[in-house]
Amino acid sequence: MKIQDHEYISSEYPRYYPGTRIIAFNPDRPAIVIVITEGFYSACFPDISYDGSHMLFTAQQKTGDPWQIWEMDLHNLRSRKIISSAENCTDPAYLPGGRLVFSKMTMNDTVRTAQCLYTCNLEGTDLRQITFSPQSYFAVKVLKDGRLLSISSQFMPDRGGRMLTVLRPDGTKTDMFYKSYEGNLLISKPRETNDGRLVFIESYGENLAGGDLIAISYNRPLHTRFNLTSEIREDLNCVLPLSPDRYLVSCRNPNSEKFALYEFDPLKKAIGRLVFSDPDHNILDVVAVEENNRPKKLPSEVDMGVKTGLLLCQDINFPNSRGTGNYSKVRMARKIEVLGVDTTYGVVDVENDGSFYLKIMADTPFRIRTLDEKDNIVSGPCSWLWLRPNERRGCIGCHEDPELVPENRFSLAVSKPPVIIPVHITGVKEKIVELE
Amino acid sequence: MRKYLKIIIPVGVLLVLAAVFYPPYHRWAREHVNYLTATNDHPLKCTSCHLHLQKSGIISKLVNAHYYSPFNLAVSRNGKYLYTVAEEANALLIIDAERGKVTHKINVGVRPYSVVLGKDGKTAYVSNQWSDNVSVIDLTTYMVTTTLNTGSGPAGLALSADGQYLYVVNSYSSDISVIDLSAGTERKRLTAGNNPTGIQANPEGSLLFVTSRRTLSRPFGDTLKCELTIINESRQRIVARKDIRSAYMMENIAFTPGGDLAIIPLVRPKNNVPTIQVERGWMMTHGIAVIEQEPPGRTVQFLLDEPNAYYADPFDIAVTPDGKKAFVSHAGVDCISVIDIEAIRAILAESSEEMLYTYSHHLGISSRFIIKRIPTGSNPKGMILSPDGKKLFVAEHLQDRIGIISTETLEAIGTIDLGGPRRTTANRLGRRLLNNASGTFQNQYSCYTCHPDAHEDGLVYNMASKDMGRNMTNTQSLRNIGDTPPFKWNGKNQTVYKQDGMRFSTVLTRNEPFSYKELDALTSYIMTGIPNPPNLLYNPDGDLTEAQKLGKIIFERTHDNKGYEIPVVNRCVTCHPAPYFTNLQPANVGTLAASDDSILFDTPHLNNIFASPPYLHDGRATTLEEIWTLYGTTEQHGSVNDLTKIQLNDLVEYLKSLRDPLYEQKKTSLNKASFKYY
Amino acid sequence: MKNLVKSRFFKYTLAALFLLVIILIVFISIKIPADELTLQQSDEMVAVRISQHKSTDTPASSSGVIKEAKEMPVYGHWRNFTTKDGLPSDKAYTVRIDGDRVLVGTHDGLAVFENGKWSTYTTRDGLAHNGVVSIDVSELTGDVWIGTLGGLNRWSAGKFEMFNQFNSGLPNDLVYCVYCDGKDIWVATGGGAGHYDTFTREWEIFTEMNAPMHEPWTYGVSTGDGKVFIAAWGGGVIEYDNKTRRFRDYVDPDGFMEIDLQPDDGIIHDITTATSYADSILWVSTYFGMSRYDGKNWKGYFKEDSGLASNFINFLRAEGRIAFVCCDNGLSSTDGTTWVTYIKDDNSENGKAIITNGTNKKEIPLSPSISHNFIIGVDAEDDMLWVATSKGVSRGELLR
Repeated sequence: MKIQDHEYISSEYPRYYPGTRIIAFNPDRPAIVIVITEGFYSACFPDISYDGSHMLFTAQQKTGDPWQIWEMDLHNLRSRKIISSAENCTDPAYLPGGRLVFSKMTMNDTVRTAQCLYTCNLEGTDLRQITFSPQSYFAVKVLKDGRLLSISSQFMPDRGGRMLTVLRPDGTKTDMFYKSYEGNLLISKPRETNDGRLVFIESYGENLAGGDLIAISYNRPLHTRFNLTSEIREDLNCVLPLSPDRYLVSCRNPNSEKFALYEFDPLKKAIGRLVFSDPDHNILDVVAVEENNRPKKLPSEVDMGVKTGLLLCQDINFPNSRGTGNYSKVRMARKIEVLGVDTTYGVVDVENDGSFYLKIMADTPFRIRTLDEKDNIVSGPCSWLWLRPNERRGCIGCHEDPELVPENRFSLAVSKPPVIIPVHITGVKEKIVELE
Repeated sequence: MRKYLKIIIPVGVLLVLAAVFYPPYHRWAREHVNYLTATNDHPLKCTSCHLHLQKSGIISKLVNAHYYSPFNLAVSRNGKYLYTVAEEANALLIIDAERGKVTHKINVGVRPYSVVLGKDGKTAYVSNQWSDNVSVIDLTTYMVTTTLNTGSGPAGLALSADGQYLYVVNSYSSDISVIDLSAGTERKRLTAGNNPTGIQANPEGSLLFVTSRRTLSRPFGDTLKCELTIINESRQRIVARKDIRSAYMMENIAFTPGGDLAIIPLVRPKNNVPTIQVERGWMMTHGIAVIEQEPPGRTVQFLLDEPNAYYADPFDIAVTPDGKKAFVSHAGVDCISVIDIEAIRAILAESSEEMLYTYSHHLGISSRFIIKRIPTGSNPKGMILSPDGKKLFVAEHLQDRIGIISTETLEAIGTIDLGGPRRTTANRLGRRLLNNASGTFQNQYSCYTCHPDAHEDGLVYNMASKDMGRNMTNTQSLRNIGDTPPFKWNGKNQTVYKQDGMRFSTVLTRNEPFSYKELDALTSYIMTGIPNPPNLLYNPDGDLTEAQKLGKIIFERTHDNKGYEIPVVNRCVTCHPAPYFTNLQPANVGTLAASDDSILFDTPHLNNIFASPPYLHDGRATTLEEIWTLYGTTEQHGSVNDLTKIQLNDLVEYLKSLRDPLYEQKKTSLNKASFKYY
Repeated sequence: MKNLVKSRFFKYTLAALFLLVIILIVFISIKIPADELTLQQSDEMVAVRISQHKSTDTPASSSGVIKEAKEMPVYGHWRNFTTKDGLPSDKAYTVRIDGDRVLVGTHDGLAVFENGKWSTYTTRDGLAHNGVVSIDVSELTGDVWIGTLGGLNRWSAGKFEMFNQFNSGLPNDLVYCVYCDGKDIWVATGGGAGHYDTFTREWEIFTEMNAPMHEPWTYGVSTGDGKVFIAAWGGGVIEYDNKTRRFRDYVDPDGFMEIDLQPDDGIIHDITTATSYADSILWVSTYFGMSRYDGKNWKGYFKEDSGLASNFINFLRAEGRIAFVCCDNGLSSTDGTTWVTYIKDDNSENGKAIITNGTNKKEIPLSPSISHNFIIGVDAEDDMLWVATSKGVSRGELLR
């Protein structure tokens, strides 16, 4: 099954192509093609349920309509609308436990204008926003470990490059999973292989049409980037791993106009036989209709009766303070400033060991920068963060190496109650959640 | 018609009765199961509990099975025979390595732990951890010829270079018995760390290295230290005690053939850090300590984990004869890590002190020296290399077989079935689950990690809760807890189901909760399958010493030294009645700390209490004495302020004698350790 | 009369008497040779030969008297150590030789002399208290047991393990004496005597509640031949039999009398400060003299009737047949008959060794002498004698 677009349009959000359609075919009999989204003006981003019986997709019923989330029963090809919204809703993916995640254009004071991730039941009820920063999230993949992997793109205060962000389905524990090199752009949904890797397409410069097939190891994603197509001339724009030695890729060689579906041998790093092509359409994505192992259904610590989340940092001067043994030579930070989208939430002194412990209003984006005793900026601000209600989060230090684990030490900051952020708030009336 | 009426009427009546009684019965069953499992959709399957939670009796015999559970291994010099201790079968199995068959089964003591072969290859020595002795086996007649008495909990074994002495690591009494094999008696005993198990001589044979599992006693918040004890073999004296920092569970040790490096698998816990997340190694990490034997003599730790994958519970290590590769068995994730030792040397050579320190916290460093991860059967424990180094034999502890790995291709090439039961009982499945890390996010830790041998790790954890920095709690033992609900330090979980159910996954494992089948199995194992070891150290046969008897009188007293009546609520026996020495009620013993959420704490059972320091809910009492000398002065934890020091000592001696009720019933004739010394 | 003198009977009688006198003179001459001490004037070579002159001070063998003379070691070439040499404090309470090193307990920590240098361990290193008053070394394991004013330590391979009255069955934190007997450790504390089994880690406590002590204050302990000897303040010596697990006591038959009313009728005084057992002899020090017990008979020693430096004895230690006695006015050593006492001169570094046997006395000048006369601890091994005083530590070499 794949998406075909009628016209290839390069745009701000190049992934939403009006006029796209989803077709189904049997790879053994590629001549027989069924357009299963007949009746829709545009349809794309299919995701197959774990039992292989249903398909989520995003579609426009008619031109100009906002993209909405639909589910199709693959036995009878009947579709039903799950999300009705005034905004574009795209990139749906099944979550274990009868829910789904998708990306939705959101405009409010918290995120300004961004594509945020939401989850809901398969009936469309119990809609929950799970990302809360001025960043766009799309092309969501549900990993085997139960977390969500999404392309994220910052646009405030500065436009940042795209990266793969991982987070739990309740929006907690957001973290960088993979970051492209400078000038590279993630353009396809990442996919997991059975041999512990993730594969996706990365383009160069502003070429949003196609790029190279990149593989990273799930175990160590930040440092295992491997370009599988550096030696070939074709541009790729999507990949579907079928087995450790056989992928399906949509690619286009410099001499042809359209992207077609080919086999790809990742071991030999070579494009194989043509599987499917359409002279009138580009292949934008491909999914296999089959049963899959359900990802883990991760529990949620979010409690909407709580208004805040807790954040602990072990040492804001990490890694400068570690191992030098000579603090006087290093310019040490003594305070942190918590910054909102266009405001400051306050300045907080840190403990002697560099730790701080904050109780922050939930679902509110913030960044942190460090200051010396004279309030001069030492470093930062860091990337956008948010805490979900009742979330407890820890970090080692500012600009820590993301592959470092914390030292096993008791931070001075947690021997006292947390500092409430924004600092002008003196108390928060909320539900108290105890460990049962 | 009448004939049919005879059938229709009774059937009709039955149907009516069923219609009348079934709904309330179903309602009751639903409530009953909901309460026990703390869920609302557990299948209404009576057998889940009533079949698999029987500790004894015919049902228990029918549903359970007797497995071998191979634990450690030895190999003959010609490589033809393997010797494996079968932990649950209390036997030594001799295996024809070429044919892959068990040829002999020799009964030894209880819970054998290790086996070593004599220098001439004609004798085998097997440590019996629950018998406090070593079986000496003649390998020509396959008979146990004698037993050697040791300290408590003999585990690791090593022979002196000349074969004259046997060094026995006593894991429960934390010392080493030096046994003169010609005299058959213990020559001396050397203290070693805390809960030591592993022992290995350096290639020269001049020194013996002993690894400990538990850390030395430290207040919460201090840097953990786990001792590596070094013995001068010729003088038979301790010459060094190295502290391996921020680590514990050092179960074994191996040397490179040249003797320049000693390598110890270990666990690096994060007990001082609030338990708020699992991502990024915030609960547990696993690695190795590499100790240079030549100047500069550094001790460096490396993680074996990766940023999104953890390799829980490293147990044993084997180094190839060419010194190029090391194999580490990860009991918690059913795999073997293959380490490139040259890569380790390169890192040591090129790295500054600061960089080396960082590597003990770096999840990316393993990519520089891990060659491969080889999957194995369930719960791989001890390993041994064939004499030519071409094969690695792995005791797949909960699979009842020996795995064989080619050290050249780094692939599994076969298995040796020990002939254990074919079926996997619920209890067995539960044991596998307890020992496997797949229940936690990214396999970061298993139940075993904090509850080694289903006991406790002696650490105090910052359990967080409504706030971080709150609820410092002492890990509790899982041994024979089936009859002593409720569970958890604050007694808030009425059943093991609830303890290991949804909330457990939300706040600890941070992973998908166990399925009901898994939960049933795990509960079955915890409730019925974890016995306490016998208390051979303090009460081998039920006959109390004089001090213990006096202590029992104090424990049961109703009046103080002045003759005043002690209020019933303040008598020891009120909250700690036999046989489990808990009344299953919550209590306030005046130990609530400012950082505690709970007001009342679950009264713990006291069986084998000597084996689980530190004490009190937050582990503040490092010894039993301190429960009262430092923390009992308010008289809320028993009436003790009138006791003399002698009386307190007697009381402590009595407490140390408390053992599992199972042994009170059996009154087995287990031998107390007796020893001569020079 | 002339007839009487001329009579044969008279002549024979006279001859017999004359013969008898000759025999008597010869007999006396053999029995008691000249009381000669062959001393050389230099202090390099001293071998003391004990005269065979019968002395009331000589202990009998069957009746407490040593019949044969033996040599007594004399130490010289004294070298003194103070804080200037690296000691943490000049107040040294105890000393123990442990192979190539010497362990000294001082007011400010444990000092270790090894390879010619002093190093110090204090509470920062894990010592229970900086006041170290007793040290013993286990022959089996090499572990060093340290009694302090704030608890007991086991020091092994550089690591301190601490026992105190709160975390263990140690009777009291004032650990005046510690003694290693195979796997057993005995302590004398301000709250009773204690026994620790290093195998089972069990403590036993002995006080006036369960032992024949007047009060729990115990100052010293030693063992020998399967028995334990506890020096109990005001209680004489408490003997504990390991086999029978029974106590008995040895108290001064003179009761509260400060004078020794009946000599050698028992232990010399009940305020005992130390015991030491060697060569089947129990030595006991008190604040009012010293006693020696061979299992049957007691022998008491005072300054007034022996070579003892002073009746106020802080400590003693027997090595083989010789007891080294730490007095408040010098160090004495004796085999029960002959005494060698070391005393420092006032106002100078010099002193002397006084060799006493009965009424015979000889002095050997020593330059330098021991560092101070207030002796608190002593240990001897091979040719070395180490002495702990209130003003430093002294080391003497056996003079040959």
